[in-house]
Amino acid sequence: MTNTLSRRDFLKLGTATAAAAAAGGWIQPRAARAAREAGLLDAAGNGYIPSMCEMCVWRCGLLARVEDGRVVKLEGNPEHPHSRGNLCPRGQSGLMNTYDPDRVLTPLIRVGKRGDGLFRKASWEESLDLIANKMLEIKTRYGPEAMVFSTTHCLTQQQFENMMYAFGSPNYGTQRSLCFNAMITAFLLTYGVEEPARNYNNVDFILLVGRNMMEAISTSETSELSHAVDRGAKLVYLDPRYTKTASRAAEWIPIRPGTDSAFLLAMINVIVTNELADCEFVKKYVVGCDGIKDAMSRYTPEWAEKITGVPAATIDRIAREYAAARPNSLVHPGWRTSNFLNSFQTERAIATLNALSGNVLTPGGCLSAEVAAEGAGLGAPPQPPYPRLSALRLDGTPWKYPLVPLKLGVFQELRDAIITGQPYQAHGWFISRQNPILSLPDRNKTLQAFGKMDFIATVDIIMNDTAWFSDVVLPEASYLERYDPILPVEGKAFIRQPVIEPQGEAKSTLWIYKQLGERLGLGDYFQYDDEEDYLRTQLKPLAVDLEEVKALGYAKMPEDETKGEITFNTPSGKIEIYSETLKNAGFSPWPTWEEPPVPAEGEFFLLTGKVAQQTQFGTQNNQLLHKYSDEPRLWMNASVAEERGLRDSEWVEVTSNVGKVHIRLLATQAIRPDCVYMTPGYGHLSRGLKTAYGWGASDSVLHVTYTDPISGSQALSQTFVSVKKA
Amino acid sequence: MKLNLTIDKRLQLKPIVIVLLALMGIAFVVAMIRYVSGIGSISDLSNSFPWGFWISFDLFTGVAISSGGFLLAATVYIFELNQFKPLLRPSILTAFLGYIMVVIALLVDLGHPERIWYMMIHMNGTSVLLEIGICVMSYLTVLAIEFAPVVFEGIKWQKAAHFLHRFIMPFVILGVVLSTLHQSSLGSLLLIEPQKLHPLWWTPILPIEFFISAIGIGLAMIILESSLSSRAFKRGLETHLLEKLAKVIPIVLVVYVVVKFGEIIIAGDAKYLLISGIMSILFWAEIAMSTFIPLILFSFKRIRKSASGLLIGAIITFFGMIMNRFDVSWLAVKHSDPLSYLPTFMSNVKYFPTLPEISVSVGIFSFGILAFGLAAKYLPVFGKQEEASTK
Amino acid sequence: MTEINHHAFLFDATRCIDCRACMVACSVENKIPMNKTRIWVAGLGITGEFPNLQRETMVYHCMHCNAPDCLSGCPVGAYSKRDDGPVEYDKNRCIGCRYCMNACPFGVPHFDFDKGLVDGAFIDKCTLCPQRIDIGLEPACVATCPTDALVYGEWTDLVKEAHDRIAAHPGRYIDHVYGETENGGTSYLILSHVPFSELGLPNLPENPINKVSESVMEITIPFALSWAAVLTGVAAGVHMNNKKKEANAKEAETYDEKPEETK
Repeated sequence: MTNTLSRRDFLKLGTATAAAAAAGGWIQPRAARAAREAGLLDAAGNGYIPSMCEMCVWRCGLLARVEDGRVVKLEGNPEHPHSRGNLCPRGQSGLMNTYDPDRVLTPLIRVGKRGDGLFRKASWEESLDLIANKMLEIKTRYGPEAMVFSTTHCLTQQQFENMMYAFGSPNYGTQRSLCFNAMITAFLLTYGVEEPARNYNNVDFILLVGRNMMEAISTSETSELSHAVDRGAKLVYLDPRYTKTASRAAEWIPIRPGTDSAFLLAMINVIVTNELADCEFVKKYVVGCDGIKDAMSRYTPEWAEKITGVPAATIDRIAREYAAARPNSLVHPGWRTSNFLNSFQTERAIATLNALSGNVLTPGGCLSAEVAAEGAGLGAPPQPPYPRLSALRLDGTPWKYPLVPLKLGVFQELRDAIITGQPYQAHGWFISRQNPILSLPDRNKTLQAFGKMDFIATVDIIMNDTAWFSDVVLPEASYLERYDPILPVEGKAFIRQPVIEPQGEAKSTLWIYKQLGERLGLGDYFQYDDEEDYLRTQLKPLAVDLEEVKALGYAKMPEDETKGEITFNTPSGKIEIYSETLKNAGFSPWPTWEEPPVPAEGEFFLLTGKVAQQTQFGTQNNQLLHKYSDEPRLWMNASVAEERGLRDSEWVEVTSNVGKVHIRLLATQAIRPDCVYMTPGYGHLSRGLKTAYGWGASDSVLHVTYTDPISGSQALSQTFVSVKKA
Repeated sequence: MKLNLTIDKRLQLKPIVIVLLALMGIAFVVAMIRYVSGIGSISDLSNSFPWGFWISFDLFTGVAISSGGFLLAATVYIFELNQFKPLLRPSILTAFLGYIMVVIALLVDLGHPERIWYMMIHMNGTSVLLEIGICVMSYLTVLAIEFAPVVFEGIKWQKAAHFLHRFIMPFVILGVVLSTLHQSSLGSLLLIEPQKLHPLWWTPILPIEFFISAIGIGLAMIILESSLSSRAFKRGLETHLLEKLAKVIPIVLVVYVVVKFGEIIIAGDAKYLLISGIMSILFWAEIAMSTFIPLILFSFKRIRKSASGLLIGAIITFFGMIMNRFDVSWLAVKHSDPLSYLPTFMSNVKYFPTLPEISVSVGIFSFGILAFGLAAKYLPVFGKQEEASTK
Repeated sequence: MTEINHHAFLFDATRCIDCRACMVACSVENKIPMNKTRIWVAGLGITGEFPNLQRETMVYHCMHCNAPDCLSGCPVGAYSKRDDGPVEYDKNRCIGCRYCMNACPFGVPHFDFDKGLVDGAFIDKCTLCPQRIDIGLEPACVATCPTDALVYGEWTDLVKEAHDRIAAHPGRYIDHVYGETENGGTSYLILSHVPFSELGLPNLPENPINKVSESVMEITIPFALSWAAVLTGVAAGVHMNNKKKEANAKEAETYDEKPEETK
């Protein structure tokens, strides 16, 4: 390790490794040696390598088309339930993601100040040693709980958690509380399942509450919903914005933000008051059928009209249409439900409505509450039990938030604990496949928390904002360059395998975690030689050869035992519209109305959402997606903009309680007058992202942190902003 | 230290020549940039605006204003109206230089100027543009042959001059046929865009309208060229000849107006005449300048017999006809509708000629003027009755 | 080789969610540079006033017309049409005149305005993925479309499918399949809920629009020959007439005893 650093050692921002791709010579990388050796290609070097996409968490199966030994295209794998032969725009752009000229391809160690973006290239040896030493130092001086570990939904999550629990820290940050805590906790409490599966084969009536399915694409589900609508199913869509889903819906209801639960509670009122649900039948499976009429009595459509702005007659009619279509009617559970503090109640109301429809009780029905355990049916390497965790978890789970499952956590609350040092001070942060600087609300607060860290290490494929502010950056191989643990999907165990040789020194996280674990003295928890060895262990119970799985792309898993009685994994074994658990925790046992705050005069709701061409905070540097993306501007209702003398395309200043951004305006008819909207994921700070840097603004700068005491969910739409000429 | 600046008088350049050379130089530089960095680097042409100023001015207008050549060739050689002979050579020269300018402009506008000769070996018989290309190249050859005697006389190679002169007829006929074809074909170019060219202009008989107007503009050009060069080179005005030509103009314009309006009415497009906003304004301005006003002006003997009257009338006709060419090739053509387009780099509907773009046309035009001046100075362009002094 | 006689697309504008997967797929499949595209979104976008809104967009690319105007207009024949549908462009012939861009009523051919002589400025447009369709795969855009807004197959089958859909869902579609007859028929058929002009599609007659210019071209050579003959005749006639006049004048002279004073 040198002490004197020459200018050449400084990382020039933006490696030239894949410059050829950027220069217009199109990417045709060599197919991975492993795939070639596995016989996936014929003598001429043509063939398909099956793997899985990672451009979002839907993880469509893909087939990488190889010609003359070079990967030329990604196609959807018809055998995979999530793709069925299709890939969304992000999936199609995967080669460009892997061949992004701004990829981080060697371990990097910071040399300047945090945030300057000055790093030097280092060897794996040096970097891993450094991280391990720092982590052990923190463990020795402050206790293992002083290390924070955070990662986002990925296939090596189990191994990440493995490392964290083995290390002895309870402090786990995942993106879940920014996303679906409300939905998961509500359905866990009501159905006993995290997320009921949706089935559109026979559906006749669909109510989407938010869940902009046509832009927040989950390939197969978007396809199924679209085909259901084509077939004649009626789609009713609640959203303050006229999104692409709105244009496919039979009815678009521009509901006032924060009042979804009022709408839904009124629907429940109409259904139970007029006995439109077959309560005798559902009573068998539902707790609360008796008292629900009274509990819902005050939520009349007239009451809801005043709150939501939707005419009472409309609410009444939709409730009746929904009930009439049962059991082939569905209220979608939603996914990212981190909108308002009352979103938990919205989710409870959704669960209730589905129960009343009976759709979750019919085999093959629109909703299914079967539990599919993660990793069930697969093998695992042996390992010793974890050390006992003694420290309180900094994010308040479960001591402040008793109903939040440990694996969800309340990520956004970590920062206050770090900043205040209460109940104890955290000193280190290990982040993998996550971008908290851009994703957590109130970016300033996140930066403040980062400032308190003695040591930050990040695993990423590109110089994302979080990597930019780290002390060590480890290069992960992209999803097209690595093995990941097997992922079972609907009865098939799918493999992710390298379709391209890893570039530079990038490595899979299976390898990284093991290497780090060994240096931390936790080698016993990583008893596999390499990735293939790990996969073989996973496949052992299926008695199938790894080479076979590589060729086919998956292995069939044994069928589930025949289902008998319909039961739910709740304390009562039934659907709990009335939840004793909630009551005991001091919350309302019924789905209930909680008044949301409203913006002051002249202020707007700041809405967030998704676009089909990007995924959250990680894809904005992809040149192909950039090419086909709309410019990220602030949506404002055109009449309102005119009233305020603001012109389309001009620069405006948007201010909230915690931050301020400059962004160009989009004057549009497609949004409520009391709302503005920003697409998240822009306004990067990292100058290592040549394509994304300088494009758009970050809504995280503006978001105020709000946490729902029940589900721990963040309330991203509860931030109010003022807008004026810049 | 005083430099002894004695330059041979013959090498001294008149200021006008310096200006023209400078303009040519600028055009050359711009053209070089265009060859290296693409047409988009010096103009705002785009996928929604593939043709712009160069095509409208250098091609459409350039060809139209070179129509004097075949008119006079026909007049003198076919109709044997020898009184017009003094006007013949300058017109041939104008046409010859005009077509050279067209070809130079094409060499800058074409994406692959080095492949311009492909039109001779890869021929698509349904393409109007091919016909124009072949005709222009052939007619340029014919004009060269028609002008060659002047050159030969100038370099005192009388035998060759006389030889060519004797066999000039087939070339004259060929020239008239070729001119008829491509003057009308420029109109035919727009036949394939019925939904883009405004109904006030688009008609299946566009080629006929173009040919008639080409005769009109040719006559006007002869008058214009003669008037200007008489003044520029301080020669006698040929008003007596021009007056006779001017007499024909109203007849041509009447035919043109009858055909144009007749077609509009018969096609049922009369409803667009007054209610088409900018298009109506363009249409009536064009008709006024290219037909109504010249028609009226040249109907008056007084104007026909006056040098300035002829000049003004010719200028008005000239600009009116240019307007027509610009309208048909650009201003009345619908380019991409302002719909939402994605990706945004895809269309660039706003087009306006840029300074570099115009400078190329100006430079080419300067070349034309310079060449005309040089030829007029050193070759017997203006007949054998030249003044002794050539300065 | 496949047994399809006329490769065609059916685009259903009511199914398209403007996700642009087709565009990304095409870019990768055909190695399109970052500043070019062969498929694009067109249309009026969102129309109406809040909250009565409608979205009018569609994606399209080369229509692979039955009577292509680009093919008709190209002076050097750089365009050709396969018997089974695709309209092909040969960059080795192209002279960069850009007439095809004017001729095409759909604005399809895109030109390299940013390339000079060294890199070569050419036209780019959808090729109908011959490298895929000739081995039985769907074109890249169709293969990836998650909502089946884009489907592909035999032209006659797709026309039938389109009319079936119109019949099955009265009120959902304009009762017309764009491309069935327009400009003599195209290989890209379109179903829409809104008038086709609002999607950016031109109003075209059944008779291909290049028929007028092609007819004019057909008579060119006969006309030229006739005109040459007429002119020759006139020239000969005038010449003979003048010669006669000259001869008469000379005769008159010789019969005159007194030489005429000039002037």
